[in-house]
Amino acid sequence: MNPLLSIRDLTVRYDSRHDKAPALRSASLDVSVGERLAIIGESGSGKSTLALAIAGLLPRPARIQGSIDWFLPLDGKAPLGGRDIGFVFQDPSGSLDPVMSIGKQIGEVIRTHLGLGRRAARARAAELIERVRLPDPRAVLNAYPHQLSGGQRQRVAIAAAIAAGPKLLIADEATSALDTIVQAEIVTLIRQLVAEDGMTLIFISHDIALAAELAQRVAVFRHGELVEVGETADIVTKPRTAYTRSLLDAHLGLDAAPLLDLTPPVPA
Amino acid sequence: MNGPLLAVSGLSKHYRRAGKMVAAADDVAFDIQPGQTLALAGPSGSGKSTIARLVLRLIEPDAGNIRFEDADFLALGGAALRARRARLQMVFQDPLAAFNPRATVARVLDDPLRIHGIAERSERPRRIAALLERVGLPTELAQRAIHEISGGQRQRVAIARAIATKPSLIVLDEAVSALDVSVRGKILELLLDLQREEGIAYLFISHDLGVVRAIAHRVAILDGGRIAESGDARAVIDVPRSAIGKALVAAAPKLPAPARTAS
Repeated sequence: MNPLLSIRDLTVRYDSRHDKAPALRSASLDVSVGERLAIIGESGSGKSTLALAIAGLLPRPARIQGSIDWFLPLDGKAPLGGRDIGFVFQDPSGSLDPVMSIGKQIGEVIRTHLGLGRRAARARAAELIERVRLPDPRAVLNAYPHQLSGGQRQRVAIAAAIAAGPKLLIADEATSALDTIVQAEIVTLIRQLVAEDGMTLIFISHDIALAAELAQRVAVFRHGELVEVGETADIVTKPRTAYTRSLLDAHLGLDAAPLLDLTPPVPA
Repeated sequence: MNGPLLAVSGLSKHYRRAGKMVAAADDVAFDIQPGQTLALAGPSGSGKSTIARLVLRLIEPDAGNIRFEDADFLALGGAALRARRARLQMVFQDPLAAFNPRATVARVLDDPLRIHGIAERSERPRRIAALLERVGLPTELAQRAIHEISGGQRQRVAIARAIATKPSLIVLDEAVSALDVSVRGKILELLLDLQREEGIAYLFISHDLGVVRAIAHRVAILDGGRIAESGDARAVIDVPRSAIGKALVAAAPKLPAPARTAS
């Protein structure tokens, strides 16, 4: 597989004091063109920091060491967020302007990055609304974010993220605020869009089962460090580390042994 | 007390939304037996949290009855309601939102002991230490501010506060949903320990069927403010009959089978 990007010894600190542990420590990871890679971990694992670093979205005070090399025809320039990299956040309200119509927001991405005119951009936005399977595309184009449900807003955010035809889509806990039914629909949509457009996917999640359903490879992070990375089937069936094992064991699936012990009589 | 601890019937609550009346709870009926857990599961907007708030009397229903500890709970007011509220406690998803973040842990636990007249001032520090120990926290934590402790510790403090008044029922509204999985398992074990030892019943609200199946005796699956089906938690989740039950089961993330270790 051809490499898309190569991360070497990436360390990110938000706090300049060196006695504090970095948010990400010496992470090295390769991402191939067209693969679906999941990055999983608990709070403080550094998974979101890694996603932001790849997208070039780290806040200003962050100090970065190490390298992220891209294998894109960019003439040595850094990839551009919105054009080369699409990003979907947990909370779509954060990336959508509440006083701008949906059609305008998606159209703006198209006009900025593809240089299309107003009319063509609007037609393209309507196509994207249809691609993310929102009902009644015409009505959605003229709607405002608050008029949509959480799941519908996330579909709009995905439409905006893929509007310029990025090579890489990063979804950072993109389904964590949604209920399980809507989550499953959004995951299905992401899988389909990534396949149709030949995009590479980096799927950030705290949920190892959800990640395993979607990704071909899984990278496990803890306390800012890469614990292990491998094929999904290997990670879930024969993890090499106790930590990954513990994440698998902590997953309460529908086939898990109940924690509730029904044998003793219930006190009156 | 004979019969159920909590008996809800005909419970309805409507909201006006974009000019239309929407049923957040529509003729809902269920019982909770002493010392047992009833889970309310369902998608967003199915009415889970509305029902929790109705049971807690944080909002008033349009219609229906709630009997709690053999009393007409909706008819209670003033001192009688305050006294009964000590027996019906709550833990929410985000304890940081429920507490004054600058308050110390001791202050958070002192409030219910004082308000409900459970312990004299001189005795309260000892009670607070005992509560912290009961929920698996070091007693030194009492002097820390709420914003200084971890999310898992905060949820233990929320549970300590809930049990301070010796409740017979605790409403847990997505109480473990925001926790890391490693922390979540320990909090669930704590809740089950408390239930076993103190006989506390839970109304456990969750969108996560895996958690519900692991800890609840019974489950009611909600859709559009109505109970679509209810019964033994494992029986319902293993073989759902309602369309919404089937959809929830199908949507639950599943690990490939060989991943699970025998334990």
